[in-house]
Amino acid sequence: MNDLKARVKTMIIERLKLDGMTPDQIDDQAPLFGDGLGLDSIDALELVLAVEQTFGVKIEDEASGMKAFRNVDALTAYIAENQRA
Amino acid sequence: MQDILAQLPHRPPFLLVDRVIAREPGTRVVAEKMLTLGDPCFQGHFEGNPVLPGVLMLEMLAQAAGFLEAGSLQGQRIFLAGVQEARFKAAAFPGDRLELEVRPEAAFGGVSKVRGEIRRQGQTLCTATLLLKRGGP
Repeated sequence: MNDLKARVKTMIIERLKLDGMTPDQIDDQAPLFGDGLGLDSIDALELVLAVEQTFGVKIEDEASGMKAFRNVDALTAYIAENQRA
Repeated sequence: MQDILAQLPHRPPFLLVDRVIAREPGTRVVAEKMLTLGDPCFQGHFEGNPVLPGVLMLEMLAQAAGFLEAGSLQGQRIFLAGVQEARFKAAAFPGDRLELEVRPEAAFGGVSKVRGEIRRQGQTLCTATLLLKRGGP
């Protein structure tokens, strides 16, 4: 799980070009959007595509997206759950 | 032309789609724009050497993307939110008939990603990926 979490953080940094940021600077619990990482709706679309391309997991609708994008822990759990399925 | 005016909020001199040739909402749109020496941009870009500005090619693709929606855009606000991987491979001039093709690639949370290409008689002049956002900039 921790290995998956590290890969999720690396994916976020690379896909969204968060230059100068390292995986350990991303708090597992901090919101990805708004106050935490400060991502916006365009970043959300990029993340949907990155999750599908990197992990083969689809985020079908906005409800799933809002759940998965709450923070890194939530996104890691969503990917782990749907990779198994 | 009436259909175009009904679909897009843009008006001359900034309406950059003349005709829609193929319209498959959600899948693909092919439209056309005829360039003439009377187009305002050619007065100053450049004097004695009229060349279509590359940013207007991007705007043409964005306007063509308005026809990917099944319904009219009148009253709706859709904004150009990003441009990725734009390439201008050859210039366009007065007299050219440009073919604009757009295909949606992905959408999430009111943002959509559209791949566009502009051709002149089969020659690719411009390719770009546009991000379009509903609601406001």
